[in-house]
Amino acid sequence: MTATAVPPRERGITLHAVTKSFGGNHVLRGVTADLPADRIYGLLGANGVGKTTLMALICGHTFRSGGQILIDGEDPVENAAVLRRTCFVHEDQRYNDNFTVAQVLAPGPAYFPNWSAETAERLARRFRLPPKTASKKLSRGQRSALAITISLASRAPYTFLDEPYLGLDASARSILYDEVLTEYVAHPRTIVLSTHLIDEAADLMEDVLILEDGVVAVHAEVDLARRESFIVRGPQEQVRALIGAREVLTERHLGNLLTATVRGQASDADRALAHQTRLALEPATLQEFVAAIGVRSHDRSDIA
Amino acid sequence: MDQPVTALTYVRPNLRLYLANRSWALYTPIYILIGMTILSVLVGALIGIVTGFPLPEGDTVAMRYNAGAVYSIPGFLFSVGVLAMNRNFSMALAFGSTRRNFWFGSALGFMLTSLLVGVGSLIFLGLEFATNHWFINARAFDVDALGNGDPWLTFASMFVLSLVSLFAGAFFGTIFRAFGTVWTVVAAIVISVLTIALVAVLVWQWDAISDRLVGLGDWLSIIITLVLAILAAAGSYGVNRLATV
Repeated sequence: MTATAVPPRERGITLHAVTKSFGGNHVLRGVTADLPADRIYGLLGANGVGKTTLMALICGHTFRSGGQILIDGEDPVENAAVLRRTCFVHEDQRYNDNFTVAQVLAPGPAYFPNWSAETAERLARRFRLPPKTASKKLSRGQRSALAITISLASRAPYTFLDEPYLGLDASARSILYDEVLTEYVAHPRTIVLSTHLIDEAADLMEDVLILEDGVVAVHAEVDLARRESFIVRGPQEQVRALIGAREVLTERHLGNLLTATVRGQASDADRALAHQTRLALEPATLQEFVAAIGVRSHDRSDIA
Repeated sequence: MDQPVTALTYVRPNLRLYLANRSWALYTPIYILIGMTILSVLVGALIGIVTGFPLPEGDTVAMRYNAGAVYSIPGFLFSVGVLAMNRNFSMALAFGSTRRNFWFGSALGFMLTSLLVGVGSLIFLGLEFATNHWFINARAFDVDALGNGDPWLTFASMFVLSLVSLFAGAFFGTIFRAFGTVWTVVAAIVISVLTIALVAVLVWQWDAISDRLVGLGDWLSIIITLVLAILAAAGSYGVNRLATV
């Protein structure tokens, strides 16, 4: 597949018509997005929609089938100067079985010119990472903590966090969000964060990219994305009357009651009508919006 | 002030990664050689219970064919090669390396390990001579397989043996990483068939080439091992360029 070159952004990530297929499985079908540097992006979408694959493509961990990817105006594939600015520890990252936690962290300063030993030490302490424990003996939560420690201590200008909360309890997740914010404020950089705990992490994000069916369904500032949908609930006929011709993302039925997640912003007229007809109308949270897109995607694939 | 960026700037971190666990990458091969030496001396001591000490020349001649040094090292170093190219690979990419720089950094590490094994063997050979073959006329390094006490042959034999073990492990580890189990097995079968075919050609053409090969003397096996190491290195480099995480 050929892709027309897009004007490279001096600092940031440019994706143009990026595709990736595994045999007959077309995971990414033409991802186009422009990500200016030094922002925190939430990469959202249902399981299997291609979030990890997209991050792996950007960092050259795997090869794209088509399209164009640029970091700071250069193709990252096997580009040492560009890749040196990236850090992407996979959610299921494999480490050398013979390495302890301390040995996994030891090469960090050699790879990353801005590596912060102080950050690594602080995070290891806060997450209670046992330095002498072999990497293969770490629990799921400890593996996530190690990935977060490497990612934040790297101070890589392009840092990718792939579902970093897996296995972490509520307090450890608080530490994660706190540390991401602290590091970002002190040392601004581009952070791409894939997550399913959307509402929990939404306050961190500045922009969101929502993937659906292998393309970017929504790319917006987080506050705008939060206003991308609303939920209306009540008797079916009245709900349909309020929705009109607008796009319905999901519907749930309980007898004659209908709960619909509707794309778009509820107007004052909608609210007045809802009040009159005793319908419940409320803004959808970002999590509900992303979930609705995911359900729509599943329904489409079931029909197909 | 930023340091100037050279090719080594990108290769060095990968060498550092290889050496992150020095016990695994550097010291264990030496421990294995120490263990092999102790075992060889113990075997000599067992023989000596019957023959008396120091071991008489007849038994010493038998110990001259002790190939413990040759057999003890490859298995472990093969596993080092596999893990280095497999697990370290995904770590290196996570840390922002290219495949090319990862390979060169690891290859430098392999050279270092091999050098250490070669030098270590040389030191053990010196100790063997200094102690009049471990005080009982037992042999671990002054043996037929390592050139009968020739220091150059001992060093070169152990160096290339280590190198071929590491790069063979790297080759199969990379194939496993890039293409999975099935292709790793296919590669092993193909290489086995090619090796048998090569041996068949050598046997078939032995009269024509034997003079030249035999003329190389003890260096023949070293040269063959070195060629295999180079082939394995080239193969692992080629496949590594296609590997993904």
